Amino acid sequence: MAQLLTKKKLFFQIILAVVVLILVVLCCSLIGTKQISLRTVFALTEQPNTINPDYEIFFHVRLPRIFLACIVGAALACSGVVFQAILRNPLADPYILGISSGAGLGTIIAIISGLSLGILGNSPIAIFAFIGAMGTIWLVWFIGRLAGKSNVTGLLLAGVVVNAFFSAVIMFLTSIAKSQQIYATIFWLMGNITEERIFVLWMSAGLTTSGIVALFYISPQLNALSFGADDARSMGIDTSRTQLIGFAVAALITSIAVCLSGLIGFVGLIVPHGVRLVFGPDHRRLIPLSAITGAIFLAAADTLARTIVAPAQLPVGIVTAIAGGPFFLLLLIRYTRKIGWINK
Amino acid sequence: MKKWLYLLSAVIIWVIIGFLIFDFLPAQSRPAARTKQEISRIISTAPNITEILFALGLEETIAGVTSDSTYPASAARKPNIGNFWQPDIEAIIAAKPDLVVTLGFPLYPQQQNLADRLRRFSYNSLTVFHTENLSDLFDTIEKIGTVTQRQQQANDLAADIKQKLERIEVLVAEKENVRVLYVVQRNPLRVAGRNTFINEMIELAGGENAIGATIQKYPPISTEQLITCNTDVIIEPTMGQEKSELLEQSGLQYWSRFENVPAVKNKRIYIVADDAISQLGPRVAEGVETIARCLKPKLFEK
Repeated sequence: MAQLLTKKKLFFQIILAVVVLILVVLCCSLIGTKQISLRTVFALTEQPNTINPDYEIFFHVRLPRIFLACIVGAALACSGVVFQAILRNPLADPYILGISSGAGLGTIIAIISGLSLGILGNSPIAIFAFIGAMGTIWLVWFIGRLAGKSNVTGLLLAGVVVNAFFSAVIMFLTSIAKSQQIYATIFWLMGNITEERIFVLWMSAGLTTSGIVALFYISPQLNALSFGADDARSMGIDTSRTQLIGFAVAALITSIAVCLSGLIGFVGLIVPHGVRLVFGPDHRRLIPLSAITGAIFLAAADTLARTIVAPAQLPVGIVTAIAGGPFFLLLLIRYTRKIGWINK
Repeated sequence: MKKWLYLLSAVIIWVIIGFLIFDFLPAQSRPAARTKQEISRIISTAPNITEILFALGLEETIAGVTSDSTYPASAARKPNIGNFWQPDIEAIIAAKPDLVVTLGFPLYPQQQNLADRLRRFSYNSLTVFHTENLSDLFDTIEKIGTVTQRQQQANDLAADIKQKLERIEVLVAEKENVRVLYVVQRNPLRVAGRNTFINEMIELAGGENAIGATIQKYPPISTEQLITCNTDVIIEPTMGQEKSELLEQSGLQYWSRFENVPAVKNKRIYIVADDAISQLGPRVAEGVETIARCLKPKLFEK
């Protein structure tokens, strides 16, 4: 597929992807522990003051949850693409630069201290996790800067060190915590998607979408960056500005995703690769399509997670790993013959 | 440059619209409308709450329990709404409850989270905080009794429990305290510390925790600590997991290494079924009696 990417083609592919997303959302919203169908959802109840439970489940439980899964999936997949581009490392995922341990530390501090302050009614765990994630990633950034501008290795090493340090602190706090607090922390960190208030959904959708659009704006520069910082500079790209913008936006949308749903692994690592294998490494196509694919993937995984062992639920991170792994292997086998870029 | 300005202004407008249109404070529960009506369908999300509801005579009104509510036996036959750590909100809504009773933050944030979400949908939910010691248990019983309008039964239950506990206390006061170690895990060796309700039950049963005060509630201890604490009795709970015979077998092997510990020398290692001990519920008196029988068996031989 060595044709040039035109605006029309890109637009068409994005529209097609969005249509698939809408269909998937509709299907997922009708699957769940309680059997409902579109007819029962909209049926009027005999007594006017009682609530139709199917209506409640559909509109208040399932749709918000699926919507949240789409937002989180899109955020994680997109930031995965960006981190892989900036760090020029195919194993990079959104959590590589300390976000996972930062969020974990924030979570366990919130649970142990038992503070019940929340901003605008959001749970204190989410707030602390957000602060932990954002704080840690900027700490890693500044430590990496000390190793030299545009020094990718320095950044990665700083991430590893900060991760290790914070993990040790987390282990210490775990050892003095009560067992229920440990369980609570583990369950939160395993990744959970629940329904949120519409205000929260509105804000996170807005911020995430604008983040993805911002990343789309710098996608031509990301294309140039993937040849190497020196080559990109020689093409006239301002590498440090691109890296800073990409880093800041990806950090923000990942922190939002983590504070809403805990640490859901695999999406940020595998979806970018999957999309890259099928559609090629051009970031102008990669960023929007990974976002939409990430949304579809996580919505489907979450639906599976809440139905497969009903009425209990699996943490969604388990489903993404188990389902994503073999599927990705399949893609890998089929497409590496077509596109030889991995063998570079 | 222009496209960035457009993007930034779009975000700001989006955020402002969000604050204007949507109710950004959490919806307060609307108790007035709901609590007037009679409560005929209750859902419980924890096994000890289920036991309290049964003890208050509310068996008929229970519309759903979690999968670990196994006592009394008829509780296991009630509709299942998930398990304690992950209750299923769809099953709860489908059961059309008038009242949902949950435990709360900070010990159980996922239960608190569930209660908040249900309150947002205008479901009547009662959150019981702090079930960490005996006085919390009595508070909980009173609260549930008040909300379900069974104050008389609640007072009777509380009085009954207090009476049973007093009887045991009087019985074991005859002899001096026995040093006991409550081992929750063997590898690494973890025991119940002094600021747990298990410790409270041990003291009511006429015992003394062989471990001194620790920061952690269930501290891991070293072998040296085990030997120096000179415990007279070791109690291990089955935690509902393995059969007690298996635990006894592996126990003999495990503890035989510590021959100088008085509990091992005198073969006073007891494996007990712990559902009345580890959950703080109406059967707390039974739990205390179980422990007392391990500590001072002669007193119960009459």
